[in-house]
Amino acid sequence: MADHITSKLNPDTHLILDQSLIRLPFELLRKNFKAAHFNVEKESTSVKATLKETTQASLNNASPDEIIKNVDLMLARMRGLKRKLNACAEEEARLHQQLQSRVRHLGELYGMQSLDDVKYEEWSRTRLDRLLVDYLLRYGYKDSAQALSKEKGIRDLVDVETFVQMSRIRESLRNARVTEALSWCSENKKELRRLESNFEFMLRFQQYIELVRTQNQTKLLESIAHAKKYLLPFKDSYPKEVQQACGLLAFPPGTRAAAYGELYSQSRWTTLANLFMQTHNRLLALPSVPLLHVALSAGLSALKTPSCHSLHISSISPTSASSITTSVCPICSTELNDLARNVPYAHHTKSHVESDLVLLPNGCVYGRHRLEEYSRKAGLSPDKFKDLRDGKVFPANEVKKVYIS
Amino acid sequence: MDVLQDELAKLHGNANLSQSVQDVEKIIEQLERARESIVAGKSDSVFYIRNGGVCETLRGKEGVGIFGQFIHTDVFPDPSSASITLAKIQNPIKSGFEKVNDDLKKVHKGQSVYGRALDKNFPVKALPTEYDALASHPSLINRAIAMHLLREGQFSVASTFLDEAQDNPPHPIPTPGSPRPADSDSTDFTSLRSQELQVKFSNMYQILHELKAHNLHPAITWARGNSIELEKRGSNLEFELSKLQFVWLFQGPEVNGLPADSNNGLEGALKYARQHFGRFQGRFLRDIQQLATAMAYKSNLRSSPYYRTFDTETAWDDVSSSFTREFCSLLGLSAESPLYIAATAGAIALPTLLKLASIVKEKRTEWTTQNELPVEIALPKSMIFHAIFVCPVSKEQTTDSNPPMMMPCGHVVAKESLQRLSKGGRFKCPYCPGESHPKDARQIIL
Repeated sequence: MADHITSKLNPDTHLILDQSLIRLPFELLRKNFKAAHFNVEKESTSVKATLKETTQASLNNASPDEIIKNVDLMLARMRGLKRKLNACAEEEARLHQQLQSRVRHLGELYGMQSLDDVKYEEWSRTRLDRLLVDYLLRYGYKDSAQALSKEKGIRDLVDVETFVQMSRIRESLRNARVTEALSWCSENKKELRRLESNFEFMLRFQQYIELVRTQNQTKLLESIAHAKKYLLPFKDSYPKEVQQACGLLAFPPGTRAAAYGELYSQSRWTTLANLFMQTHNRLLALPSVPLLHVALSAGLSALKTPSCHSLHISSISPTSASSITTSVCPICSTELNDLARNVPYAHHTKSHVESDLVLLPNGCVYGRHRLEEYSRKAGLSPDKFKDLRDGKVFPANEVKKVYIS
Repeated sequence: MDVLQDELAKLHGNANLSQSVQDVEKIIEQLERARESIVAGKSDSVFYIRNGGVCETLRGKEGVGIFGQFIHTDVFPDPSSASITLAKIQNPIKSGFEKVNDDLKKVHKGQSVYGRALDKNFPVKALPTEYDALASHPSLINRAIAMHLLREGQFSVASTFLDEAQDNPPHPIPTPGSPRPADSDSTDFTSLRSQELQVKFSNMYQILHELKAHNLHPAITWARGNSIELEKRGSNLEFELSKLQFVWLFQGPEVNGLPADSNNGLEGALKYARQHFGRFQGRFLRDIQQLATAMAYKSNLRSSPYYRTFDTETAWDDVSSSFTREFCSLLGLSAESPLYIAATAGAIALPTLLKLASIVKEKRTEWTTQNELPVEIALPKSMIFHAIFVCPVSKEQTTDSNPPMMMPCGHVVAKESLQRLSKGGRFKCPYCPGESHPKDARQIIL
């Protein structure tokens, strides 16, 4: 049976919440490389072709001005390519730097021996700050996230840019605008196809719905063209949606047909925004929920005991501190108490109580040593005990010994 | 992790895009040179156009490929400087692009090597995301975060966050774990409430700051103001602080650096004791006696039995941490940030929970205990806060509805176990020969 107290730290299994920390920059690095590659491919083909054509033309007596114009064109393309590549190289350098800081940060954990290590506490605090920034960014609180990462000096350990970009697109979707999302789709066309994502289709579908919503003659015609171009090609992948799209023309907004009424609902934008978030996170191998949720769900359960939401004011285990007065349990503390109500409590197979327990006549049980200490400090004579909870005083000879097996 | 660091260094050093930028630059240079020579040859070309016939015949006979030869052999004067220049750079530019592509290939290769190292040394572990009890309570999380920031003294971040959260309240998402997002969640963690907290915590940081500078007065004033609550908690903070003040004065100006007047040194300490120790006489008479007797050993304190009492090495840190603890406790808060403890505990618990999830998936079973985790999670000692009683018969933790019951012999079992054992009549304790009746057992509060 596993012991219920441990201070062992196993870095290999401990790094679970930190996966995206070094995965995301790598994904971005790959994306950056793909962008560079794409640009080189595009420009090289075009420049090579132009060069060939121009040479050919020069042989066929093209005017020198024409030739120079073409050479200038090639130069412009190459300069553009250089600019783009330079940008990619800068981004790459930034990502390398970021990865280095992150790998170093995670590597620090391997130098620690136990969970009681002071360095671990410091490390864990930085981790909490990372989790907080991640949470803040996912909820779109970007100023707070920036302020926190700046104050703590953990800019290299958090992904502000990625998430700010994401929330911008998400916000635009919530405000019923598709432009940003569509351009994001075209940026990530290949990857989205690989994921078999339906996001772009759903965007196009929504565009179509908006066209039909107007009930304006030209817009309706436009909607049919739109459907032909963007929706019908997918009739095998999304038969239901395509059928609905076709049927929608017969049902103007305000229809009583529930299935079509739903399509006109504004809540579809929220759904789209959520779909975007899912797709985005999947694309970058980011966890679908804030890491803070994952950490807290597990942590609250691990810490929670039946006493945390008990009616009795629970006595506090003296193991947590050397003095008789102890700090409040984090689950009992105001911050987390309500939050912990919904999570299961920790499983224990062994009792964990003070040694040498005694029972006071009112039913409360304490360790004898602690009770004596407390009573002495309360200025009582040694033959009296004072209850730590309600302060009632009892004669020492009325206590009974309790045996916990 | 070291492997990754090495791989990363390689990636950074060898497989980056800067080489390809340079090679693109070379192509640009070639093009620029070509352009110059074409522009320079433009005046000549007028001549060739006039004598188009020559060119025509040349071209017809020799074809394009031969032009290079013309230049080398220099048989003819430049027939068309533009076309020659262009033809001349065809191959270099082509190979220039090949070079760029090679550069890119190298980067790509480096990245895949790194990717493999990453997968090998840091395999992807799926997070348990299907069960998220917290998504339905974002406002509670927000509140916890705001309080965390305040208690950590990050006041400016906290106020930014409160403003932002006020403007964009989060949308609760119902989860299977808690189907209805609680509307009752108090979202009223308004600026008013937070301001109050901020004032309190900034007061705390002020006092701690003074303590760091070895000034006890603000802390003592605070402790005196809250002496009733502190005493109820069994805290002797006020006395500890006063005692330290006495010791501090006692050690004199050489140690404490305070002005050497009648309020310092032995005299000052005595004066302080007379003034303030009276109120502690009831509870801490022994300690006060010790302090008083120690005065006799002033000259050779180091070898006296009271040396320990006067060792202020750790005393300042101790009072600081006990002050923080008491301060937070009086606010109903734990001394350490709960968010920090919970997140750390979560990170410690996750490996076990993930292992469990994989076993559950493999065995295609499900756990049915809704209220309790199915596995025991080992935590460091500092993270155990409550007494835990596991009934030795049923192996269940006692709860409000199934409390611990003590039999007359002093052994304790859970109420349900007691009922099952006794079946209403007399029964033998499972741990000793003692027999008793269930009605003799009494509920205890651990």
